[in-house]
Amino acid sequence: MSGPAEKSDCWRWEESRYTNPGISDWRGRTVTAGVDIGSTSTQAVIMIGGELYAYASMRTGANSPDSARSAMSWAMEGTGMAESDPAFTVGTGYGRVNVPFANKTITEISCHARGANFIYGPTVRTILDMGGQDCKAIHCDEKGAVTSFMMNDKCAAGTGRGMEVIANLLSVHVEDIGDLSFKIDEEPPMVSSICVIFAKTEATNLIRQGWTKEKVLAAYCHAMAYRVVKLLERNEVQEDFAITGGIAKNKGVVKRIEKLLGIEALATEHDTQLAGAIGAALIARDLLTRAKKKEEAQ
Amino acid sequence: MGSETLLNENAIKSPAVKAWKEKGGKAIGTICCHVPEELIDAAGMLPVRLRGTGCTDDSEAEAWMSPFSCSFARAQFEYLLNGTYDFLNGIATSDGCLLAGRIHDNWKYAGKEKIEKEGFMLSMTSTPRIVESRHTMGYYKEELEALKADLERVSGEKITDEKLKASARKYNETRALIREMYELRKAPQPAISGTEALELTLAAMSMEKGEFNKKIRAFIGEAKNRKPPAAPRVRLMIIGSAIDDPAFLKIIEDKGGLVVTDVQCFGSRYLWEPVAIDDSDVMGSLAKSYLERPVCPRILDIHDELYKLYMDMVKDYAVDGVIYVRMKYCEIWGGESLLFESKFKEAGIPLLTLEREEIMTNEGQLAVRVEAFIEMIEKEDR
Repeated sequence: MSGPAEKSDCWRWEESRYTNPGISDWRGRTVTAGVDIGSTSTQAVIMIGGELYAYASMRTGANSPDSARSAMSWAMEGTGMAESDPAFTVGTGYGRVNVPFANKTITEISCHARGANFIYGPTVRTILDMGGQDCKAIHCDEKGAVTSFMMNDKCAAGTGRGMEVIANLLSVHVEDIGDLSFKIDEEPPMVSSICVIFAKTEATNLIRQGWTKEKVLAAYCHAMAYRVVKLLERNEVQEDFAITGGIAKNKGVVKRIEKLLGIEALATEHDTQLAGAIGAALIARDLLTRAKKKEEAQ
Repeated sequence: MGSETLLNENAIKSPAVKAWKEKGGKAIGTICCHVPEELIDAAGMLPVRLRGTGCTDDSEAEAWMSPFSCSFARAQFEYLLNGTYDFLNGIATSDGCLLAGRIHDNWKYAGKEKIEKEGFMLSMTSTPRIVESRHTMGYYKEELEALKADLERVSGEKITDEKLKASARKYNETRALIREMYELRKAPQPAISGTEALELTLAAMSMEKGEFNKKIRAFIGEAKNRKPPAAPRVRLMIIGSAIDDPAFLKIIEDKGGLVVTDVQCFGSRYLWEPVAIDDSDVMGSLAKSYLERPVCPRILDIHDELYKLYMDMVKDYAVDGVIYVRMKYCEIWGGESLLFESKFKEAGIPLLTLEREEIMTNEGQLAVRVEAFIEMIEKEDR
C-alpha cells in the first residue's frame, strides 16, 4: 500500500524497474528488447535468450520517442548495456512507430498475446488486456499467436484512465482501490454509466447522497467489470483465462470479472503491465532467429 | 482526358458532372442501388449516386436525423442541405433501408422550394424485401413504372422500350468492364489496389456510361501494362455496409493488406450481374434483374445466396481474410454477422469486424485493428 497522496496525485501509480539477479552477465548472449508505448504507460523489457533480464515501467510522457528512450535507459541502468546492444528491438503500443531505435513495429494485440503466453504459460487461450485507454479480448494458441481479437469502442470507459479519474475524484490512491472496494457490507448496484465523464458525475452524486468512498469504488469497479465482460462475451471465453495490463493489478475489478464470468483468471507474480513489452521482446527474438536463418540459407 | 484521370473523377461534383451540366444536361441523384439507373439514362439524364464522401460536419443534418442514426445517410442529407448537390434536378430514392427513406421524407420539406418552384423531382420507389413471391415482382414493376413517369415528366422525354433496351446494353457493357477490372485483381500481384478500384466505381456513379466505358477500357489496357507491385502481405475482401470513402480503404491498404475484392454496394454490388431484357416485357424484365441481384441483406431471403457469393469471391480472388465493415447503426448489416460469423469460422476464414462512421475520426484505432488482423493472418510466417 502506498502512503498518503496529494489529492491531484492519487492516480499516480508507482513506476518501477528491475534487473534479474539470476543472470550475471549478458555479454556474448542474444539480447532482444521490446518497448511498449501505451497511451498511459511505457514499458521497456530486455530479454536474454528468452529469459526476462531487465525492465522499466513508467508513465508515458508528452513525447513518445523520449518516453521510449527514458524507459529503455532506466531498464538498462546498472547493466552496462547501451541502446545499441540489443540485437533486435520491437516497438509496440499506440506509440510504436515512435520508438526511434526499434527494428520493427508489431501491434500490441500480437505482443500481449505473446507476453501473456510467457507470463501465464502456454495454456492461456483468452486474454483480457485492460490498458490505459482501451481494452481488448484476445484469443491465442499454445504458442501465444493471436487467433482472433476484439477491441472496445472508441472511448476510455472501463479502462485504466477511467480508474485514475475516479482515484483523483475520491482522493484514493489508485493502487488502493481494489482493497477498498471490498470494504463494504454488501455489493451495491453498479454505477449506471462507465463513461469517464458521466461516471465522475454519478460518483459525485453518490458521495453527496452519503455513500462511502468504498461503496462508490465498489459500484465503479463492478460497472467496469460488467463492461469488459460484455466485450469478452462477444468473443466467448475459452479457458485458461488471463488478464494483462494495469487493471489486472486491481483486484476490485478482477474479482468482479471472475464472479460475472464464473471463471477464475490465472494468477502471476509478474507485473501484468509488462505483457506487451515482454511479447515485443520475444517476437524480436523470433524475428532475429528468422533473419539469421535467412542469412545462413543465402 | 486520359484514362488515368478517371481516378480523379471520384469527387462528388466531378469534372464529368460539371461538363454534363454545362452542356445543359439534367442530373438525377439516386439513393440505394435498387433504383435502376437505366431508366434515368434512357430519359437522357445523368444518374448520380448520392454519397457522403469527405463529409466533415453533419450538424445541420443532425437537426433532422438523430445522432443515433446512420451517419452515411446523415452525410448525404447534409450535402443536400449545404448545397453540395445543388446541381441535381431531382432525386430518385428506393427504400433500401429506413434511413434512405428518411432522406427522401426530410427533403420533401427541406427541399420544398426547389420542388415547388424549380420542378425538382422527388421520387420514391418501394422495393420489396422478398424476391420469391407471387406479388413482389409485379409490385416492383409498378413502382418502376411510377418512377419512369416521374422521369419522363422532369426530362420531357418519353422512355421508350427501344431507349431502355439501348441503355440496358450500354449498362451491361459497363458491368462487363467493371468485372474485367476486378478480374485483374485476381493476379498474385494485382496492379490495381482496392482504393483505386473504389475510385473507379465511384467515377462510374457520376459519369455517363458511354463515356465511362471508353475511359475504363483504356484504363484496363494501361493497368495490364503496369509493372506489378510486390506481392501483398495479405489479400483481403471487404463486405458490409456501403463504403463510399476511398480514404477508408487506404487506411487498410497502408497497413499492408491489399483489398482484392468486395461485397458492398459501392463496389462489386453496384453494377455486376447483367440485366437480361425480355423484349416482350421490358419493364418487367428490368424489375426482375434488379430484384434478383444479391446486393445486400435488405432482401430477406438471400442470406444463403450472399454467403455463397462471399465464398465464391474468397476462392476466386484467393482471399486470406475478410473484413466486415458495419456502418454504425446500420439497420441492414447490423446483425448480419450473426448469420455468417460462425460459417466463416468453420471454413477457417479469418474475419475482422470494423465499425465505420462517415466522418472518420478514428483512423488510428482502425489502423491498429487492421494491422493486428494482418499479423494474425501472417503468423505462420513469423
